[in-house]
Amino acid sequence: MAAFEPVLTRNVGHPEALTLQGYKRGGGYEGLRQALAMQADEIIEAVKASGLRGRGGAGFSAGLKWSFIPKGGDKPKYLVCNADESEPGTFKDRLLMEHDPHQLIEGCAICCWAVGAATCYIYIRGEYTKAAEILERALEEAYRGGILGGSVLGSKFKLDMWVHRGAGAYICGEETGMLESLEGKRGQPRVKPPFPALVGAFGAPTVINNVETLCNVPHIVTRGADWFKSIGTNEKNTGPKLYAVSGHVERPGTYELPIGIPFRELLDVAGGMHRGGRLKAYIPGGASAPILTAEHIDLPMDFDSLAKAGSMLGSAAVIVLDDETCMVRSVARLAKFFNHESCGQCTPCREGTNWMELLLDRLEHGDGREQDAALLLSICKNVAGNSLCALGDAAVGPVKSLVERFPDEIEQHVRDRGCPFPRRRWFQDAA
Amino acid sequence: MSEPQARPAPPRLSAAARAELDAIRRRFPTTEAALIPALHIAQREWGGWLPEEAIEAVAVELELPAATVYGVVSFYDLFHQRPVGRHRIRVCTNLSCQLRGADEVLELLRQELGVGEDEVTPDGRCSYVHFECLGSCDTAPMMMVDDQYHENLTPLRVRRIVKDLA
Amino acid sequence: MPKVTINDRTVEVEPGTNLVQAALKTGIQIPHYCYHPRLSIVGQCRMCLVKVEGMPKLQAGCSTLVMKDGMVVRSDVPEVREAQAGMMEFLLINHPLDCPICDQAGECGLQDYAFKHGVAYSRFQFEDKRTYPGRERIPLGPNVVLNMNRCIQCTRCVRFTQEVSKTGALGFFNRGARTEIGTFPGKPLDDDLATCVVDICPVGALTSTRFRFAERVFYLDKKPSLCTGCEVGCNVTIEHRRGHIKRYKPRFNPDVNDYWMCDYGRSTFERYQRLPRLAAPRARSGHEGNGAQPTGWREALDALARGLRQRSGEGAVAVLGSGFLTNEEAYLFAALADLFATPHRAVPVDVGRPRTIPNLKGGITGREYAPNRRGAELAGLATGEGGLGAEDFLAGDGAARCAALVVCDSDFGEAAHRPEVVERLRRAPFLAVFGWADTPLARAADVALPLAHHAEKEGTFVNVEWRVQRFDRAFPPPAQARPGVEALSDLLARFDARWAGQDAARVFDRLARENPAFAALSWAELPATGAPLNVPEAAAPPVVGAAAEETF
Repeated sequence: MAAFEPVLTRNVGHPEALTLQGYKRGGGYEGLRQALAMQADEIIEAVKASGLRGRGGAGFSAGLKWSFIPKGGDKPKYLVCNADESEPGTFKDRLLMEHDPHQLIEGCAICCWAVGAATCYIYIRGEYTKAAEILERALEEAYRGGILGGSVLGSKFKLDMWVHRGAGAYICGEETGMLESLEGKRGQPRVKPPFPALVGAFGAPTVINNVETLCNVPHIVTRGADWFKSIGTNEKNTGPKLYAVSGHVERPGTYELPIGIPFRELLDVAGGMHRGGRLKAYIPGGASAPILTAEHIDLPMDFDSLAKAGSMLGSAAVIVLDDETCMVRSVARLAKFFNHESCGQCTPCREGTNWMELLLDRLEHGDGREQDAALLLSICKNVAGNSLCALGDAAVGPVKSLVERFPDEIEQHVRDRGCPFPRRRWFQDAA
Repeated sequence: MSEPQARPAPPRLSAAARAELDAIRRRFPTTEAALIPALHIAQREWGGWLPEEAIEAVAVELELPAATVYGVVSFYDLFHQRPVGRHRIRVCTNLSCQLRGADEVLELLRQELGVGEDEVTPDGRCSYVHFECLGSCDTAPMMMVDDQYHENLTPLRVRRIVKDLA
Repeated sequence: MPKVTINDRTVEVEPGTNLVQAALKTGIQIPHYCYHPRLSIVGQCRMCLVKVEGMPKLQAGCSTLVMKDGMVVRSDVPEVREAQAGMMEFLLINHPLDCPICDQAGECGLQDYAFKHGVAYSRFQFEDKRTYPGRERIPLGPNVVLNMNRCIQCTRCVRFTQEVSKTGALGFFNRGARTEIGTFPGKPLDDDLATCVVDICPVGALTSTRFRFAERVFYLDKKPSLCTGCEVGCNVTIEHRRGHIKRYKPRFNPDVNDYWMCDYGRSTFERYQRLPRLAAPRARSGHEGNGAQPTGWREALDALARGLRQRSGEGAVAVLGSGFLTNEEAYLFAALADLFATPHRAVPVDVGRPRTIPNLKGGITGREYAPNRRGAELAGLATGEGGLGAEDFLAGDGAARCAALVVCDSDFGEAAHRPEVVERLRRAPFLAVFGWADTPLARAADVALPLAHHAEKEGTFVNVEWRVQRFDRAFPPPAQARPGVEALSDLLARFDARWAGQDAARVFDRLARENPAFAALSWAELPATGAPLNVPEAAAPPVVGAAAEETF
């Protein structure tokens, strides 16, 4: 594979980029400067034309999202940057914030200019204290350096930007759960419509974009939509993409690659299977993504190819499982996560995630019944599509794929009255 | 929660905390939006957790019903309703870490500290809990001690980290 | 207005009407728990999922609004039924199913929908039900008890305290399957509207301290009526078993109390059980002797008529009315006063802490602890020129300055129970008392006549906003007690035969003909939600804002 020139992670490993001066020296804030000379609509059109799709999970066109914000009006408008990276397996936004905070600030500022927002909140998960501190420092510098405040880069554009720390709740990564949390409430997702573009933060039109999505924006402005579109699988899957690879690979980490790289190549980049194990399954897009198996090894890792295969790119958090891994145990852990993180307001998610965890736990610990697989599928059916927000669907993803793709393992757990897989001791001191 | 009972006027946040909060309040068009920052501040002031009096102090400060504030406190994993140790350890046990031995990290902490999850060591030094994904899956297994991430853990490292906690 | 078709029935609705309401207009019930017309829409319970043509997923009926013409909705297709059965299963797996010991049984949303939309077996067989140890009977305040095991987390109660009563006393705590509701320590749910959360709780999680274990609800007879606690005139349902009132429940009237009523109002029927009942007429046979003796109605009314005739020659006759009289009773009582052309016709009422019942116009505040002071005055019980006022009787020597005093009723207010007031009123040379309660005042009377209380009679009241509202009899009065209209009509007939045989309807229509305030109204056509009177004050209802701030 030809070496790919990193775009979003170009400053990783260059600590000087943490300072405003250092960032500027590498061409930083050039995108913002150019953007301020452009009409808002031009920027939105460029982002639309680039094909940039949301990197948080849903994969919705960023430019389209921006274009939903009503023009004019007497209400303020807001940008909320979703830095609540909590999808299990995902750690790419943390990298971007800890290593290149100004890139994010620049992306946010361009977005605000394009949609007419004068305030941006970067909602960062409470656990990311280091990233929050780095961002705070960068924001301070940006204010002092005339990037933010009453006159952005000497223009008439006024912009305030704040870091807002969450307090530990996965559901706040859901757009409207985040807005509720930002407003000081329990992070319970809202009924939609109305969508945030019309009624968002504090009742005003609001754009919500993921960190990685916004980090792409300065590059689209400086290098053009065509350049962006030249990267990737096809017209609908464009641009550079961060893949966060973890689990049973030799070199777990964040890899920036053209979107749509086949999983096989990604696995190679990450050093192949850990300790020479054999691939059994992988989760291509975070805990919510239905599990794929070794037979899917050549799938391009983009939005549409993965959707076609019955899974999703999600946050592109790739968790790799080798063939000694118990799928029941793994999915039971994810079910526990979704039960823990269900906000509790809607019936199917509150009760369904709880029931699924109980069932899978029972199965893993040897009390499974023959009818459990069918029951799990039935619960999945009653949760999927019926919950208030997408968490219900997310919780169903791994469970449904477990029953459908690994029926033998479930049967074996029932038959053997327990888990047939040995516990491995990988938490050891080097010999 | 215990039975209702009459109590003296609730304590207030310290002057420094109030000043810090006032600066944050200006960022939002509503008072309520300052609630989560206020609770972070209050939790710091009350030694890492939020007793009833801390919740009431915040409720008074932001003019919100105490039940509403408690509803928010109990929603978020980073707000504690019970006393914690001077140092708080959170062990990620979600899938990527589980695949790399997170459960054994927990077990080792139990042995080293001699207390169960969410309990405080007798000397008040430490408490630990298992936690959902902390976004450090590439360095699994990992844990967070106070605000610091400790990654690529080995038994030796865990023992040393615990020993070094003051 | 846009048209929407639900299960093949088409209906025209205001733009913005949600599908639950639109369906109701066509006679179709879409099941729901969390939706309540006066609370914010949260779409949580997912019971109201329906199929909307053109939408890939089922939609929550409560949060789907009819905005433009042509929406086609189905609530009767298999996928909707499956979803409803699925939601019922989710709600029931962790529910204790303790209906035999639950007060809600018989009026429970879970029971009703389980029969209609659920399945009859459980697939939750090998797991333990979620319980909340120690949270099975938590007093949230003096009037409301929580059993968390039964809660289905619909948050109606939480939203009520946040959005309607505005106390914020209740919160939604924890997360996911451990979510629960409750109060903060030291901040109980004890405002005037507290028990409304029991009314809107669709299950047995919140029960009323007052009503707990008082009666199985399926044994209750329910009759529409009005609360007599104050001048707001909340519409209520009297729920009784064989004449024993077990509770009041608010009855929807958007112009008055909306869906609500106050806890004080709910307690007022207890008076009927607490005070001794005046069971039979009593009359004093001679001028001396040891008090009035039980007798028949005819004898007692004769004695009263005789007493008034004799005494009227010696001085003034005074009548002392009550804010608890119906307009019709007050009218006849005033007619008695007219016979003696007396200006002494006061109506004492207790005034106390104001309470506000919220409605869409803001709310109605009541300060007078009687339902009908205004109506009684309009019907003719207003102190005339040179007449003695209520204070003259209660605190002065009014009674002593009259030759005869007729009081209706014996429980007109707190003063009727004070010995010094009884003693002052007794100074009238002749004292007659009507009433349902055998109060000290009734016991002191020369003639005491047992009346029906408001649940035992029909009539109309005029509330603080000058709205006249009619109520029907919930159950018959005991043995010898008679509705005031009947008793007064018999008394008046002893002076003028044309008064014989009056009933509430005839008296009301007569009042309406004579009094411009009641112009164009008739008993038979009085709307169920009442009608504003033709008085200047009715056009401009009192400003309630300030009072609302005081009380809550």
